[in-house]
Amino acid sequence: MEIIEVRDVIKNYENNGLTVAAVQGVTMRIRQGEFSAIAGPSGSGKTTLLNLIGGLDRPSSGSITVGGSELSGMTPKELADLRLRRIGFVFQAYNLIPVLTARENVEYILLLQGVEREERERRSAAILNEVGLGNEIDRLPKEMSGGQQQRVAVARAIVSEPSIVLADEPTANLDQKTGEALIDLMHRLNREKKITFLFSTHDKMVMERAERLVRLTDGKISQDRAEKPKGGTKSKSASVRVGFKPHPNRSRN
Amino acid sequence: MKIFLLICWRNLWRHRRRSLIVISSVAIGIFAMMLSMGILNGVYYQAIDNNINIALGHVSVQAKGFRDSMTLRNSFVPDETLNRALAALGGKSKGYAPRLKMQGMLNSSESSKGVIIVGVDPARERNVSHIRSYISGPDSGTFLPDAESNHICISRDVAEKLDVVPGDSIVVMVQDKNDEMVGVGMTVSGLFQTPIDSINQFTAFVGIRRLQEMIGAGDSISEINIALKNRDRADETKAVIAKAVRDPSLAVLTWKEMAPYLVSSIMVVDAMMYVSFGIIFITIVFSIANTLIMAIMERFHEIGVMKAIGTRPSWIFSMILFESVNLGMIGLVAGIVISWIVIGILSKVGINFSFHFEAVRAFGSGAVIYPIMRWTDVAAGGVIVMLTTVMAALYPARKGARIEALEAITFI
Repeated sequence: MEIIEVRDVIKNYENNGLTVAAVQGVTMRIRQGEFSAIAGPSGSGKTTLLNLIGGLDRPSSGSITVGGSELSGMTPKELADLRLRRIGFVFQAYNLIPVLTARENVEYILLLQGVEREERERRSAAILNEVGLGNEIDRLPKEMSGGQQQRVAVARAIVSEPSIVLADEPTANLDQKTGEALIDLMHRLNREKKITFLFSTHDKMVMERAERLVRLTDGKISQDRAEKPKGGTKSKSASVRVGFKPHPNRSRN
Repeated sequence: MKIFLLICWRNLWRHRRRSLIVISSVAIGIFAMMLSMGILNGVYYQAIDNNINIALGHVSVQAKGFRDSMTLRNSFVPDETLNRALAALGGKSKGYAPRLKMQGMLNSSESSKGVIIVGVDPARERNVSHIRSYISGPDSGTFLPDAESNHICISRDVAEKLDVVPGDSIVVMVQDKNDEMVGVGMTVSGLFQTPIDSINQFTAFVGIRRLQEMIGAGDSISEINIALKNRDRADETKAVIAKAVRDPSLAVLTWKEMAPYLVSSIMVVDAMMYVSFGIIFITIVFSIANTLIMAIMERFHEIGVMKAIGTRPSWIFSMILFESVNLGMIGLVAGIVISWIVIGILSKVGINFSFHFEAVRAFGSGAVIYPIMRWTDVAAGGVIVMLTTVMAALYPARKGARIEALEAITFI
């Protein structure tokens, strides 16, 4: 069953009077539970495509359907609700709310959804525990390493049990080992919770680990192949929990 | 909701110094407002109290028309029902005293002076009027010995004009019941100096029995003045007395009705002060708005992320509005606490305005002013701060709510 359907999507930007074609006639389908990556060099249109699928941007032409809902006819409020309830986001720069602790950052999504306080606290603590941050829940983002912050971002993205998680270059700011552990974590969540993951990346490791790889070149799909998840077997919870490199500027007692 | 409040609260302290500057400006504004209102309140309430304690009483029973024409025609003899009603006030009143007032002339060998002659019973007046407390100094003499004695108590200003001192004789001329002028020599018993200019310039006290005898008024009096333990019970007491008064020619008046200029001037000045504070706080609007705009620009990316993950614009709007109101409310509380402490101290020690005594004398408040902090002023401060902070936040909040998620998350 398709959860994302992109049909003949074109996205053009105006830049100083020039039209830049970021996405040129992309058509693709993502099935429920896929662990896929959109890869390509900088400027290939992968982030633009991810933003279009997430309803953060609107295509110049073509249509995008997410979970059966056609995005083009939606109001900004409806798109905000879609992002809140059906899509989880993981950004390259973590993008946690700096004044909230790890638990509060995760809880924030549930608050927006109108979940009761006790339920919010229970679910956010559980999900942080699941991503290996059970002992860090009261830390502010600035008190955590990049890998830990990105795991909080993953927890935030999945706490509301969305159908899809869109991750824009999630390993770009992490070292190799931490990045691998993060992908392990996501892969495990993909298998256990059946959440569809769609990455944009130019990280070889992520490309290798993706079950399906869509390559974009100059805004067009140049390759679309399903790959066997190499290293999917690595995703054991033990390796997830110990595989993060501590932040160099942080001292622990 | 707790997280929403936490975000608002913690955002305030991200730039502690900047927030403290805004909070300080609100607090100083509130303190300035409370102190100046407090001093004005002190001036007015002292003027009211002085007028009540020296001249008006809290409630007065008098003939209708007496205030327009202070003659013997507008006098009355209190009946038993009225006396019983007055006696029934019991512990609510400090006392009540009859007064006979009429226009007259004081003559000495040097000069003459037109005044209101007030006949009082010194023994009963003790509970109603503070006039005795304004006779001070070694050469000031004493108040009247009794209601029958042939003494007169005048102000220092009048004594200076007539060039007399206690113990000297002056001639008191008044119109009797037959409209004939009668003159009687009286001895000056004492000199008073009140904070009320008009009393000092135009009032002299004599024994009520002596005055009644001089003009052949029998037991007639001009008014009965009632002093209450609580000024706020004047209306209630008026209603009780009015019910007991059977004579339709009599009126029962409260101090507010006897001195309407005081009440109306307080209201006018209050309104003017609130308007001017509103205007002053408009400057604070810009300070808060500027702070919020800076805060939003700094959090442009963060607000974009919040929107990207599903936060509605109305939440962003509310968040910024709430941050502004928080800033204002902290400033308000700080300002009120500072005001409460400072005005609390000043209300005990007073502020001596003797360097500018002419101005405060016109109000009859006295040279030392004891500021008063009223709850109405605190409430007005709260309303002004609330309006100020909401007004200040409207533009930044709208700007924040309209941030495009995509533009903001790609903003570096």
